[in-house]
Amino acid sequence: MRGTPTSGSATVAPPVAPASLESALAHLLQIGTYVSIGLILVGSILLIAGGTSPLAGAPALSLQQLPADVLAARPAGFLWLGILGVLVTPALRVLRALVGFWRRGEPRMAGIALAVLVLIVAGVIVGVMAG
Amino acid sequence: MLVGGVAAGLFGSLLGLGGGLLIVPLLTLGFGLPLREAVGVSLVCVIVTSSASASVYLQRRQANLRLGMVLELFTGFGALLGGAIAFLVDERLLAGLFAALLVYVAATMVRGARRSGAALVPDEASPALDDALSLESAAGDEGPESIEVDPDRVGLGISPDGARRMPLALVGSVGAGVASALLGIGGGLVKVPVMHLGLGVPLRIATATSNLMVGITASTSAIVYLLRGGIDAYATGPTAVGVFVGASLGSRLGHRVDLRILRVLFVAVLLYTALQMARRATGL
Repeated sequence: MRGTPTSGSATVAPPVAPASLESALAHLLQIGTYVSIGLILVGSILLIAGGTSPLAGAPALSLQQLPADVLAARPAGFLWLGILGVLVTPALRVLRALVGFWRRGEPRMAGIALAVLVLIVAGVIVGVMAG
Repeated sequence: MLVGGVAAGLFGSLLGLGGGLLIVPLLTLGFGLPLREAVGVSLVCVIVTSSASASVYLQRRQANLRLGMVLELFTGFGALLGGAIAFLVDERLLAGLFAALLVYVAATMVRGARRSGAALVPDEASPALDDALSLESAAGDEGPESIEVDPDRVGLGISPDGARRMPLALVGSVGAGVASALLGIGGGLVKVPVMHLGLGVPLRIATATSNLMVGITASTSAIVYLLRGGIDAYATGPTAVGVFVGASLGSRLGHRVDLRILRVLFVAVLLYTALQMARRATGL
């Protein structure tokens, strides 16, 4: 049920305040940025502490290897995790906006948000096909 | 690299420039990274700083979420195109394009300084980064110059004339996305004029909205770079941390620094960098 205010009905979901979506998106962006930059910072400290040059050339991203790298406190694990966080944060913002617009009763804007997400998925497909 | 990132973030923030304009020359000319790899690193850095700033702009309701999402559909499409062709374009051509961009920004700085003495080009990353450190206080900070997007307004917040120019703005947005993907910049140099001059959006809102859009624009192409092996995690780490710290410092120090001297110095740096990039492009 959408959160459009309807007077006289005790069963209607509480209305979504017009500004709450922007606040929710702001918090999501902030959390995503700080978590990501925190991971990148840890990875950079491990890299420098280990005496590896940033120009040495990092191992390629491997999603299978990522958990093991993080658990073993290898710099590449934290760096790749942080970079993935950076790249995913804007997409999460769009996903949250999609939900917010839908709940506000704005299907057109929800559709635009969905189209943006499709575009990001297309980026993944182009990258995989060309890579 | 960390220090270079701090310097790029600091100067970019003080002068109202996105970090990408400085990171790419720093990594290519300063550290010998291939241009395409430097663009990949720059895209990640640009997303970090813009996401942090965009959170504040959204909280302050200065970013027009609806307009931003409509336009980022087109900047994202441009970024996808740019990401797809970036690996087909000769690096010398990219270096030439970057040199032209640097000269354009230097000229814009000089023109802006003559006209108003104020900030030179629309910022795409950093003015609100400082506030991102304390979002709660930023939410309540509504100074005399604060302009809010009306949250109850369902429309896109553009003028009637602007609505007629929307098709042109959409084409411009695609162009901004292509430029972002090829050169590792946020694309605010195109997006802000498109919104402000083309669609009649107030400059402050156009700047904030452009900042919001940078995340999707840059991440769409950065994903392509990542999957094609165009992002090096080791080079990205210290640079991204440095740029983030530098941009935070810059937004704190901005009002204490005499920007006139800094601007003159920076124009010289831009022109010198443009020359080096041009030499790289021509092989001279």
